[in-house]
Amino acid sequence: MNPDLFLQLDKVIHEKGRLAIMSALAASPELSFTELRDTLNMTDGNLTTHIKTLQQEGFVSVAKSYQNNRPLTSCSLTPAGRKAFADYINLLEKIVRQSKP
Amino acid sequence: MDSNWASEQLQTIRTLMERSAIYRRALAPIMLVAGAAGVVAAGIGLLCEIDSASGFCCLWYGTAVFAMASALYITRQQAIKDSEVFWSPPTRRVVQALAPPLLAGMFMGGFPLLTYVTPDVKWVSTLVWVMFYGLALHSAGFFMPRGIKFFGWLFMASVCAFFYTGYFLHVNLNFNPHLFMGLFFGVLHLAYGAYLYLTEKGKNAA
Repeated sequence: MNPDLFLQLDKVIHEKGRLAIMSALAASPELSFTELRDTLNMTDGNLTTHIKTLQQEGFVSVAKSYQNNRPLTSCSLTPAGRKAFADYINLLEKIVRQSKP
Repeated sequence: MDSNWASEQLQTIRTLMERSAIYRRALAPIMLVAGAAGVVAAGIGLLCEIDSASGFCCLWYGTAVFAMASALYITRQQAIKDSEVFWSPPTRRVVQALAPPLLAGMFMGGFPLLTYVTPDVKWVSTLVWVMFYGLALHSAGFFMPRGIKFFGWLFMASVCAFFYTGYFLHVNLNFNPHLFMGLFFGVLHLAYGAYLYLTEKGKNAA
């Protein structure tokens, strides 16, 4: 197996918490902060930190609005984030394929 | 890192993607309200002896509209309480799965009642409604957890069993269609709602 494949994995997405966020957002056009938190069983602080990192990389966009006079934060994958996630999955599949006899 | 790690990572990603696509609103209150409406409607039908096709049609369409409006209201209240969007992607997927069989069932079941072609027309509509409702539940079950698919199968299998018992075995199943409707849209929903309530308690999520 080519060990270089592992080195090609995106290090920002590779972290467990951020990969979970990317996976959840990839299955939905948009998720609210609370939906993400409850789905992934993360703390508010942890989720905020990871979303900020993903936002800085341009993988996630965050929209703030109001619903019934209460603030609502919605997250979604950007086109760049969707591509980076697809590349990450393709690379994992390639690793699995290469290891098969 | 090895290939096993990569396989496990892919499996984790798949699980997370599925989990985020699942509809998570509490179903127990919706089932209990729908069940109560079904029981009350069956009671009205039996006590007031609503035997005409048009009366049967109005009573049960009215009950269906009330149950759907209540479901929407409860779902919206839950979304407001959790500071979440009401028309979320999982909600959209569930509604998209429910709509075709429900609309087809409403149309197919209402048509014989309005045209009144045979004396057994109420039975035709009843079986059509229960069958299409079962199909709708099964279809929505792809985006909902906790046995909704099984609940849908129960409706579909019961209609098949009832149809074959009556038609092919010539068993006279001569009881009021209001009872049949009350059993499926009332009692079974109440039972399922009670089961969900007891198992969901404290989690507020299905």
